[in-house]
Amino acid sequence: MSKANNKPDMLAQKHMITKSKKPKSKTPKTKPDLSVEIAGYRFKNPIWTASGTCGYGEELDTIFDLNRLGGIVTKSITRQPRPGHPTPRCAEESSGMLNAIGLANVGVEKYVAEKLRFLDEYDIGVVVNVAGFGFDEYVEVCAMLADCPRADMIELNISCPNVSTGGIEFGASASDVERIVKAVKKVFPRPIIPKLSPNVTNIAGIAKGAEAGGADAISLINTLIGMSVDIYTRRPGLTNNRGGLSGPAIKPIALSMVNRVYDVVDVPVIGIGGASSAEDVIQFMLCGASAVQLGTALFIQPDLPITVERDLKKYLTSQGLTSITEIIGKIEKY
Amino acid sequence: MKPIISADVDLLKRRDLKNGYFSLTFGPFARAKQCRPGQFVHIGFKQSSVFYRRAFSIANTNADDKSLEIILKVVGRGSKQMADLRIGDSVNFLGPLGKPFTLPNKKQTPILVAGGVGYPPLFYWANHLIARGWDPKRIVFLYGGQSSPDIVDRARIKRMGVKFIPVTDDGSFGERGRVTSPLVRALAENTYESPMIYSCGPEAMLKAVDQIGTEFETPGELAMEAPMPCGFGICLGCIVPLRAGGTARVCQEGPTFSIGTVKL
Repeated sequence: MSKANNKPDMLAQKHMITKSKKPKSKTPKTKPDLSVEIAGYRFKNPIWTASGTCGYGEELDTIFDLNRLGGIVTKSITRQPRPGHPTPRCAEESSGMLNAIGLANVGVEKYVAEKLRFLDEYDIGVVVNVAGFGFDEYVEVCAMLADCPRADMIELNISCPNVSTGGIEFGASASDVERIVKAVKKVFPRPIIPKLSPNVTNIAGIAKGAEAGGADAISLINTLIGMSVDIYTRRPGLTNNRGGLSGPAIKPIALSMVNRVYDVVDVPVIGIGGASSAEDVIQFMLCGASAVQLGTALFIQPDLPITVERDLKKYLTSQGLTSITEIIGKIEKY
Repeated sequence: MKPIISADVDLLKRRDLKNGYFSLTFGPFARAKQCRPGQFVHIGFKQSSVFYRRAFSIANTNADDKSLEIILKVVGRGSKQMADLRIGDSVNFLGPLGKPFTLPNKKQTPILVAGGVGYPPLFYWANHLIARGWDPKRIVFLYGGQSSPDIVDRARIKRMGVKFIPVTDDGSFGERGRVTSPLVRALAENTYESPMIYSCGPEAMLKAVDQIGTEFETPGELAMEAPMPCGFGICLGCIVPLRAGGTARVCQEGPTFSIGTVKL
């Protein structure tokens, strides 16, 4: 309705006894700005989906428009296709789940030829998660992604067992992490984000190793190693016996580790671990995260990114803030 | 903007079918009309003792009042959660999901083979076929259970007018034995013109039906069940191995699979 048309109504109201109402401000308040910058890239919001919980994007796009996301981290890819472990490879827990999917994926060649293309038309940050079982495999896969402009960034899944060191996770050694990041930085021209494993004694040391290797950002945490047992069959819940615990159960651990790492590195930190609401996302950001990945929560509420986006805006407005970046690392610790 | 396919619905009707079986009718569900037999809804609870959603095959829909019926047997925490719902309680539906049964051609005789808790999608299927003009007398409905109380909802099945053949392990209702016995008999004796099998039930039964179908070179479809964290293809938790190699997701490529496809 135009200004002129409003006039008679306002005159009429003048003579009515009504609650005094402030006229609506003609200039709308500044829209809350959810955009964040990470490693020189601008993301429209800090909401990403976590690797292994959003496939390659196609399925989630049947639930909501992927363009609403800040970023998507696609399922771990390896040099060769992998079928993964036999079922059961997921087990429900009281506040989360265990999984040992076993890095089932189509392999980098098919990924590049078929899967990555799907994301061409979307205006979101595409982060390709890469896994490997040896240094050479990481380097080879990252090199193959170098010529794919749609692969904006690479997230390195360093929670895989290193076959050459008897199956110890790459992510368990700061020097291994430094070496691997350095090696892939040479072959991939865009940002590299190592995803840290929480199954370590000193997460700060590992993060420093990643930074020393040239990491452009650091994401954490991956799942925590866990086990479940059926007391009647006496069998573990997973054919792999052990698996990775995710979901709300791990959020406090994730918050603690994100904050620890934020305190010791200069590169942006990306929070992962049990976030299931805007409140959780805000907690991660206050602890130092520049973006937050939603993971297991997508299985429960697949359209969660939409509600989180809405609620983040509400939070900013209620707090009198204009940009989400104003809360990053702003936890007031005792 | 794509449609978001999850929706809150209320429990409208709750029938205790005895022996741990319940019929729950939810609504209004805007997508009731789009549902097809063989498909499922993935149900999320507001206050829950379980973490994942739970997948339940659709037992019937009513496009007029937009309601959707689920028939379940209490076997674990998820089904208990469902059975404990009271009229007016709200749950969240994600769906309909999965690949429905495919229609037989008009010459074929649909033989529905239900075992225990596998009954609901076949009840829906028989209704659907009749609504699409199939003569109920040409639909064979084999329904097996351990004992008489496991054959639920008999009155409704009889009302449909299908050729109803109940079978129980102990002979307390219908034929004594396994539900696969009348199936083998019918196929061996060529009782029905161009039989097409549709089956849902415990995995051991599906395996037997799969073998029988293969042996008699009778086409058919099996509706499978698997624990499903996500229900729409992203978690890769519900895979089954395929005879041709590789795997398929029960929630996406299934839950209905052609006989001979899945390594059972």
